[in-house]
Formats: sequence, C-alpha cells, structure tokens
Amino acid sequence: MGKLTKWKSALAATAFGLAATAGMGAAQAADTIKVGILHSLSGTMAISETTLKDAMLMLIDEQNKKGGLLGMKLEPVVVDPASDWPLFAEKARELISKDGVSVTFGCWTSVSRKSVLPVFEELNGMLFYPVQYEGEESSRNVFYTGAAPNQQAVPAVDYLLGEEGGEAKRIVLLGTDYVYPRTTNKILRSYLNAKGIADADIMENYTPFGHSDWQTIVAQVKEFASQGKKTAVVSTINGDANVPFYKELANQGIKAEDIPVVAFSVGEEELAGLDAGPLVGHLAAWNYFMSVDTPENDAFIKAWHAFIKDEKRVTNDPMEAHYIGFKMWVQAVEQAGTTDVDAVRQAMYGQTVKNLTGGVAVMNTNHHLSKPVLIGEILEDGQFEIVSATDDVVVGDAWSDFIPESAKLTADWTYPWVCGNCEKPRF
Amino acid sequence: MSLRQWMRGGALRFLMVFWALAVLVPHSGASAAEDLGTLVTELGAASLSKKQAVVDRMVATGAPEVVPILEALVGRDLYTRKSDGVVVIGQKTSGGKLLLTDPLTGSEVGTVGSREVKRIKTNNRLRSSVKAVMGTLTLMSPDPQRRLEAADGLLKSSDQAMLPLIETALAKEADAAVKNALQLAKASIKLQSDSAEERLAAVQSLADRTDPESRVMLSRLLLKDGDVWREPDEMVRATAGKTLASMESRLEMWRTVEHLYQGISLGSVLLLAAMGLAITFGVMGVINMAHGEMVMLGAYTTFVVQEVFRSVAPGLFDWSLAVALPAAFLMSALVGIAMERGCIRFLYGRPLETLLATWGISLVLQQTVRSIFGPTNREVGAPEWMQGAMESVAGITLTYNRLWIILFSFCVLGAVLLVLKKTAFGLQMRAVTQNREMARAMGIPTGRVDAMTFGLGSGIAGIAGVALSQIDNVSPNLGQAYIVDSFMVVVFGGVGNLWGAFAGAMSLGVVNKLLEPWAGAVLGKILVLVAIILFIQKRPRGLFALRGRAVES
Amino acid sequence: MSLLQRLYAPQAQEPGKGRLASAVLLSVLAAIAVLVPLLNLTVPADSAFHVPTYLVSLLGKYLCFAMLALSIDLIWGFCGILSLGHGAFFALGGYAMGMYMMRQIGDRGVYGNAELPDFMVFLNWKELPWYWYGFDFFPFAVVMALFVPGLLAFVFGWLTFRSRVSGVYLSIITQAMTYALMLAFFRNDMGFGGNNGLTDFKDLLGFDLQSDNTRAVLLAATCVALAGCYLMCRSIVASKLGRLITAIRDDEARVRFLGYRVENFKLFVFVLSAMIAGLAGALYVPQVGIINPGEFAPANSIEAVIWVAIGGRGTLYGAIAGGVLVNYAKTVLTGVIPEIWLFALGGMFIAVTLFFPKGLVGSLPAAVDWVKRRIGKRNPPASSSLAEEPGQ
Repeated sequence: MGKLTKWKSALAATAFGLAATAGMGAAQAADTIKVGILHSLSGTMAISETTLKDAMLMLIDEQNKKGGLLGMKLEPVVVDPASDWPLFAEKARELISKDGVSVTFGCWTSVSRKSVLPVFEELNGMLFYPVQYEGEESSRNVFYTGAAPNQQAVPAVDYLLGEEGGEAKRIVLLGTDYVYPRTTNKILRSYLNAKGIADADIMENYTPFGHSDWQTIVAQVKEFASQGKKTAVVSTINGDANVPFYKELANQGIKAEDIPVVAFSVGEEELAGLDAGPLVGHLAAWNYFMSVDTPENDAFIKAWHAFIKDEKRVTNDPMEAHYIGFKMWVQAVEQAGTTDVDAVRQAMYGQTVKNLTGGVAVMNTNHHLSKPVLIGEILEDGQFEIVSATDDVVVGDAWSDFIPESAKLTADWTYPWVCGNCEKPRF
Repeated sequence: MSLRQWMRGGALRFLMVFWALAVLVPHSGASAAEDLGTLVTELGAASLSKKQAVVDRMVATGAPEVVPILEALVGRDLYTRKSDGVVVIGQKTSGGKLLLTDPLTGSEVGTVGSREVKRIKTNNRLRSSVKAVMGTLTLMSPDPQRRLEAADGLLKSSDQAMLPLIETALAKEADAAVKNALQLAKASIKLQSDSAEERLAAVQSLADRTDPESRVMLSRLLLKDGDVWREPDEMVRATAGKTLASMESRLEMWRTVEHLYQGISLGSVLLLAAMGLAITFGVMGVINMAHGEMVMLGAYTTFVVQEVFRSVAPGLFDWSLAVALPAAFLMSALVGIAMERGCIRFLYGRPLETLLATWGISLVLQQTVRSIFGPTNREVGAPEWMQGAMESVAGITLTYNRLWIILFSFCVLGAVLLVLKKTAFGLQMRAVTQNREMARAMGIPTGRVDAMTFGLGSGIAGIAGVALSQIDNVSPNLGQAYIVDSFMVVVFGGVGNLWGAFAGAMSLGVVNKLLEPWAGAVLGKILVLVAIILFIQKRPRGLFALRGRAVES
Repeated sequence: MSLLQRLYAPQAQEPGKGRLASAVLLSVLAAIAVLVPLLNLTVPADSAFHVPTYLVSLLGKYLCFAMLALSIDLIWGFCGILSLGHGAFFALGGYAMGMYMMRQIGDRGVYGNAELPDFMVFLNWKELPWYWYGFDFFPFAVVMALFVPGLLAFVFGWLTFRSRVSGVYLSIITQAMTYALMLAFFRNDMGFGGNNGLTDFKDLLGFDLQSDNTRAVLLAATCVALAGCYLMCRSIVASKLGRLITAIRDDEARVRFLGYRVENFKLFVFVLSAMIAGLAGALYVPQVGIINPGEFAPANSIEAVIWVAIGGRGTLYGAIAGGVLVNYAKTVLTGVIPEIWLFALGGMFIAVTLFFPKGLVGSLPAAVDWVKRRIGKRNPPASSSLAEEPGQ
C-alpha cells in the first residue's frame, strides 16, 4: 500500500473517530520492504512463539547488515496476536492491508494457521509457517517449513519398531486433545496396523491443554506396559503439559530403557524448563537439533547468542524452519527481482538452502520442504544426542498416504496441477 | 569406592569377574587374544548398530580394563578426540572443559573444550545390554544401590549361566530391595528352564507378588507366537493364568488405594492454591483475580533462590527450598501488601470492582515477569529427597514429591489455623472482618490489619508457588492455570472458612481422580464442574456455610 | 426513598440524559450502517474518503462485542446479576451460525465430501451426528443461535435463581459453566471440531464471505441488530418491569416480601440477555471467520464484564461504548506496542476502577462539572455525585 492510500485511509478513519488506528501505520517509508512477524507475545503460546519473533528479528537484522534486499532495507513489523485465534485473523489482515507487508512469518498452533488462512488467500499474502503440524493442507499462500507427519512421526515410529529402538510391540499414543495429535495418531495407528501391530496393542489417550496432573495416566501407561511385550510411548503432548508429564514420568521411575517415550513437541526449549537428568534416554524426533555439529549450526548458535545476549538460550527446530524459510524467501525475491507475491511464489519452487544440520533443504511444489529427519535421545544437559538420522532428505507430504480420503489427493502448485487438494490435474 | 578401585581390590575379585565374563560370552576362547586397544578404537569408529558386536568382543577379551571403559560408555563419558581419532574418557571440569584420560592406562592426557571431542554415541538398546553385562560385575559391590542396578541388569539379561552367582548373592544379601530384585531375576531365569517342574516352581514363587515385572513374566507365558504357545506345558500355563488372576484381584484393591492417594495429592495441590484465596476472598471479600500471579511469584522466587544456590553453594542445593519458602512468602506478601495499600483499600465494600482492578493487576504482573524472566519455562530443580518414588509391595507407586506436598499442605493449613485462632493478629483480623466499625472503635488499626491480612493471603499463595514449582511449569502463565480451580474450591467449600477450603479441595481432588480412570481426564473434569454447579443449588453457600451478619451483606 | 416510591418513581437517571445518549448512539450506528459500506464500496480505493475493508470487518467485530457488553449490562447493571460466563452464550450463538456455514461449504472442503465437514472426515466419522441436522437451513440456524443460549440460560437460571444462589457464588458458578463448556467443546469427540473449531467458511446465504459487499451488508446488519437490541433493552428498563428488576438489584429481599416472584423476573432478564449474547455471537462468526472453544474461556467472559465496567454500567450505552473502546485499544496497542501492551491494558483497568468508578460514560457528567468548576472557581464544590452503588 502506498503512502497516499495510507494517508487517505487515515482520513477516512478519522471521520469515524478512529484516528489512531490509521495514524499508527501512516509513517511508512517507501524504501523499505516490510516483513510481518505474527507470533504471540502474550498469552499461553508466548512461551514458544516469542523465541521465534526474536529469531526473525535476528535474521532480518543480519540481512540488513548484508545490505538488505533489492537495495532496500528490510523492516520488521511485529504485532501481538496474544494467543487469541480470531485476533490472529485480524492482525493478519492488518499486516497485509494496512502495513502492506510483502511476506509474513508466523503462527504456531494449527488453529491460528487455520484462522489466518482465509485472510492470506483472500488478500493474496504469503505466510511462512515454521512448526511441525498434522499435514492435510496445502494452501497457495502458505509455505510450510515445519515437518509434515511423514517427516517426523512415521520415521520416529519406524525407529521404535526397529532393532535399534528396541523392537517395540505395544505402543501408547499420548496426546493433547486437538487436531495435530488426533491426526498424527490416526496416521500412526493405520501405519502400525500395516506393520502388524493389532489395535489391542495400541493405547490412545487424550488430555486437555495444560493438563498438569499426570498421576493416573502415567500409572496407566505402566500398567499397559506390564503385559509382557516391549512397550514404547509416542507423545504428541503439547507445550505446557510436557513439564508436569515428564516430572511425573521421572518420579514414577519410568526409565527410557524400559519404556522409551518419543515426543514430537519436545525440543531444547521445552527441556530448558526442567531438570533433564531423570529423562536421559527418552527420545524426540525433529529435523534439527542444537547439538548437531556443523559449521553452519555453530555460526547460527553464535549469532543467536550474540543477538539475544544470553549464552544460555537454546535453539530449536522451528527456529531452523524460519531460518530456512527466510533464506529461501530472500533468494526467491532476489531471483524474481520483486517482492510481488505471485512472482516470489513462482521463484520459491526448487529453492535450496543448506540445512543447519547438513544436507540441503528444497522447497517443493506442494509448498512443503524436503528435510532430513533426526531422532535424538535426551542428554542430561537438556540437549539431544542423535541416535538415528535418515540417509537422505525426506520430501514433506501434504496429504498422508495412511488416511484413505487423503491418500488420493495431490498438492502441486505448478502447471498442470495448480491445486492444493486435487485428484487429477486441473489442466 | 569407584568400580575401578573395587576391581583392583584383590585377586579373588578379579578371578570372579573373569569367571563372570567367561560364562557370559560362550565363544570367548577364540577371540580372547584380541587387542583391547584396537577394539576401543573400533568402538569409537563403529556405527550405532555395530557397537554391540564390538562391546561383545571387548568383554570377550576378559581384560579388567573393559569395565571402566564400558562404565564410561554407559555414562556417556567416552569420547573420540577430533584431532587424531583417539578414544578417551572425559570428565567434566568446573570450567566447562573436559579432563581426558586414557581408557586403557587411566593416565591423564590433557584438557580440551567440549567441541574438540566427539561423544561416542549409545542408545537405549546398547546401554541396556551393557548394563546387563555390568550387572554380573557389580553384584558384590558394597553399595546397595549398585547391587540393585546389578540385579536389575541380571533380570534384563536373564542368563541361565548366572544362576549360581545369583544364588550365592541371595544367600549373603541383607538389603530387602536387592533381595527382592534378585529373587525376581532368579524366577525369570528359572522360567526359561527346560524342566516344566522348575518352571512351575518359578511361577509359584511369584504368587505373592503384584509388581509389574512379575506380571510381565507371567503374562509372557500366556502369549502365542502364531499358533504355538510360548509356554509348552499346559499345567504351567494354567498355574500362571491363575496366579496372574489372583494378582489382578489383589491389585484391584490397591488400585483404589492408589487412586485415593492421587486424589488426595491433587486435593493438596488445590488446597495449597486455594488457601491464600480463602483468606483474601473468603475472609476479606476481595475477588482477587491476581491470586494466581501471587502463586507464580512464589514459583519464580524459588527459581531465583535456586539460581543463587547453584552459583554460590551448589553443595547445599538440597536446602534451597528451605530458603525459598520464607523468601517466596515475603515476596508475595510484600507485593500483596503493596497491592492492598495502593489499590484495593479504596475499593472495600465494592467486591466486584476489586475483580476488575485485580484483573488489571494480574495482567501487569504477568507481563512484568515475562519482561524480566522471559516468556519461556524456567528450570526449578528438585532436591534429592523429593525425587523418585516409594514402590510399595503391591506395585503401586507413591511419588516422593507428591508425598511431601501432601504433608506440606497440611502443615500450612495447620499453621494458618494457628495464626488465625491463637495469635493477637488473628484475633484482630477476625474482629475487623466481622465488624469493621466496632473493631476500629476498640482501637484496632483496621488499615494495618487489612494490609497484613492481604499480605498473609498472598504470602500463602507464594509458598504454594514453591510447592507447585516442583510439579508444574514455572512460566508466566502458571497462575492462570490455577485461578479458576482455586475459586471453585473456595466456593464449593464455603466462603470464609478454611476447613471448608480443606474439605472442598480434598473432595474435588478425590472425586476427580476416581472419575478419571473411566471417564478420562477431560470428561472427569467436566463432570466435577457440573457437580459443583448442581451442588451449589443444594447448598447455595457451600459445604461449610458461614452464619451471621457477614453473610447477609 | 422507600421501595414503593422507587418502583414507581421515574428512573434514577435523569431521563433527558439517557435520551440524548440514545439519540447520539442510534445516529452513530445509523451513520456506520450507511456510510461505512458506502465509502467502502463506492469510493475508489485511492480516494481520501475510501474506507478500507479491514476497517469494515474490525468495526463489525467491535459492534458484536458491544452487543455482548450490552447483554451483560442488562443483567449486571440493572438486575445485579454478575455473570462471569456470558462468553458461553456468545460462543453458542457463534457455533450455531458456524455450523450453518460449515454445511454451506458442501463439497468444497478439502476432501470434497458433500456429506460431512472436513474435520469429521479425518476423524473417520461415517455420518453426520443428529445434532447437526437442520443446520443446512439458515432460519433454523438463526433460531438455534437464539434458542440454545436461551435454553441454557433458562435451565441454569431456573436452577440457580430458585435456590437463591446469588452474589459471588453465582458469578463463580457461571464461570464453572463456561469452563465446563470450554473443556467439552475442546474434545474432538463432541463433534464440533475440537480445538480448531469451525473455520474455512465459504459463504452465507449464497453470498461470498470474502467479498466486500457481503462484509458491508454484515456490518450494516450488525448495526441494525445492535440498535434493535439497544432499543429493546432501553424500553425494558424504562418500563415497570425495568423498575422492578432495578429494585431487585437494590434489595432483592424487600421485593420478594412485597410479593413478587423475584426468580421469575430474574430468569426472564437472564434468558433475554443470553439470547442477545447469542445473537451477537451469530453475527460475530461470519465477520471473523472462525469460532472455536477459546471463546468459552473464562478470561473472555471476565474481559467482557470489564468492558461494561469501563464504559459505565447501568447505562446500556456505556456498555456499548466500553465494548468498542477496549477492543479498539487492544487493536491499537497490540500493533503499536506489542511487547508491553498488557501493561497499558492492565493499567487502564486499574485506573478506571480507581478513578472512574462509574465508568467512562458514567463519569462524563462529573468530568463536565469538574471542568466547569475549574473555569468558574467561585462556585462551591458540588457534592460528590457518587450515586448509590448497585448492591451485590
């Protein structure tokens, strides 16, 4: 949006006694490229999302030090959607139509993404979504830089069933009751069935958000594991509930060697909040671990510590997702020579960025990344030791092959498909 | 005494170890000549899946140096030096560096930064099997904890050849826990015997137990591989089935006990969270929406105190909670008094206005903490005596941290009751609450008493925060999670009555936990909430209704 | 003033002031309903008088919140019932409308299943649960948006008012109600989409929800509905019934001793208020595009009460002003000072409670007085205009 329209919208708004709304965006220099950052800085999700806001500020800062983009400086526009889902939609609209951002990096929970999705599609914005999620979606206006289920859940279960992981025969699927665990567990159940594990050997349990009293459930898991078969737990427990869960696990004496727990939502950041000592050996599956020893990762961690001015802060997987997403966007803009969303989108396909963990991430035409999958065991210092890694990058799959309705769908935003959920090409 | 010292203790022990190693690895004769040095280098280079084989070959050498190397491997202290690929044992020094020693000779070979070496990776499977091997070596250790680990290792490996060793150890063993574990291991080994009679005897030896391990063993006998029973003998199967069934029926009763315990434990958490509110809301009539934030402040005070301990006196860490308690009380009490003096005292008699103002205060406090400590969780450690659990004979688990919290909540309740009933301040406080005008006429400084009362309520919330930091996240959202529940407890129990809060918390906790196993966590909680709503219809003033003038206003 | 006098005497407020405020409010609403859509649709985007679309949906959202605030003011400001669970009625109304719009999606969902909404498809549901029947029809959905909150309020109120649960007890159990509903709607097994709620709506009555025309019409409809509800509430509080409920607020026991069935009057206002909240929710959902269990959160209901308190309770127009003002402040603050906006918002709540106990609108006369006094210092200070506080 140009300077003129800004000013005019300001006038119009003033007419309705809303002077300040318009006034706040009016001071806008035309020689910057605006980058929206849509992460909750207050409310329940602030705990995870604030870090991502800081990571984005760091990346933008670094890019500006390198001279910006297309000869212009990047200007971050930070707003706080306050973990309030309708507010996410409102803020997304504000970012695109009032602030005129060229791209937005943001969202954590699926519901926040679902909430902003219609806004981005209507206004033809561009969103980079950095968190592992349940898949079953491919929007023209969203690039998913986190893991799809086949990039996290399925390899992790493969590991548990395999010789290295202890050849588990019974699986407990613990999750918070929302769409990501439900979908992931549905995919896993059908995958486990295909691997010859009967439904009787699968226990599924859902708890509310922020569940803090895990006594009963951990006791149930112990009970389930005492039926003579090697048992493992797959946890899709969300954020806040993890700390009390692991504390209870440790106190009830469940050792990783007996009942390993593999988690998809527990990373360095979550472990920083508790004493990891009793959890040593439990697992997590991600595309990135801070402990990975590569020059790129070392440089990233160093830059992060310098930016945040705290040597103790950790890095985690969604941060890497933003790192990759941002680098790709910068490359695509340079390639397209403009920040125009349609041009940049075309330039995004096939962009490659070196992963912080080695190997090269590729943006596919289904708007998901190809990334390596790593499985790590928790160490005493809250870091992870990688015990298994895929040989090659895994292509993110928007539509799971293990859900019948979804297996038949294809996401491909290039000719002749040009579609996020089609059974046959449009053209 | 470290393992290595013990190993060097005498020829007899050496012989025993050698014998143990020899029986462990049947084909030891052929490969005994392998050079340990090469094997160690190989261990460093091998991929995770190959390491097991290397470990087996190392054990087969029978060299006593193997033990410390394996110990370092399990303890994740074995590294390869990046510069030359040499395998070393690293010990963390105070400066964050690693002191390297040669695994074979034990001599020091320098100090390096952690990025200059690469840890030799292990996984659960490898550690598990190495621990099983080590079990045979440490069974005679003087440290009961080690013997216990060794016995667990033996249970895992369940190696027939170890039976004589276990028998010898059993004869000498005095520690009940170790003895228990050894008997389990023995039964487990005997269950693999070729003789059906021995297996039957083993099944019968488990009859008195209910622990998960023995149930695992028995239920394994009842499994089928395809069409073939794992346990060929029908008699053994039948006995195992019967034993298992009787175990289950005995467990059923114990499970109810366990649910009750869990309920009381949840109740004590609710009680701690609600007690402060019972004073500020119940006694003073202030709808304190910032109550949860007082709890949060207490938890953050604990964090700060522990940080100080970590940097100043790490050795005294177990005492950190003792310091954190008064500190958290003071911190929350001071903030509470400031709140009362600065804001709430202007709002007495308008309880609903206090709701609005304290809601604002709660937003401000949350954001303050977020600005100072950051939005992420903070690590609050548990002292040694709060970790772990008491495994009772019946196989139910009573975790120490919850046990302490139950005790602690009762102590706090007792202390508060004492303050209210037996001290001059308590008397003044009750006087002011009951009739402000009259109290003032009698010369009680009502303003000061108000402030102190609010401080007391907030301070109790603060020490609740210390306890909650042991079981929950320490984050700016901590308080929000408890505020609704706290109000439910106070209203359910009856406003203005500490015993009401006690009864309310305990009954909500127990009902919740009894419902949870069959209704699930979410539905259970919904049912409890609906029950509260219906209960209030029956007794509109809660479980313990206050009578008197204060009620009417 | 005796109770009888109070019952039949004119309203405690000067009628003239209320009438003036009503006139101002209604004309502002009319202006928004006509001018904003006009300026949004007909004026070219580069004109100085163009109203951008995001402002249209923002205004719509504010007005829905204002309607919720209005419904709270009706029972709190006039009947003394402090509900900390009004968000539940709002959300239920929203869900009714959301369900209708989910059905409207038809086979345009990601799985192309015409029978079931997407979230049911991936939860492996085979058929539509019975409580979704009928939501294909708009009139049914609208009736439900009013009926379900009304029914809940009726059952809840019938129980509580009969057993004379009042004051903070009532407030806390309304909170328990909305909290229980939140947990229930979070469950995926309930069939309301779980945490994600209902989203990805396409159209309403065949009109594309993403078109500016639909938005403009929705805004106008919200204005009309708000004005209608306001007039209805106004006429109720001005009637004999209104005096009676005000009397209940001020001294319930005396009204009961006079022979009135207090619980019936309370129940009537409570149900009416819940239905207004439900209507607000139904209008809210198409304008923000999502309804999820977060709307049931106790914090949301408390916040709605705060809007009323900030605007000025017991005035109706004050509640509307409060709802718009606080939400507008939230919009501005989360954009301008995202890191520290809670300080500003929290500070505002504290300041208003301490310094403007009657709310911003309620304090206007006092402010005018104060200014007058400043100007003409000779006048003796007017006695404090603090009227009798509504009893609790």
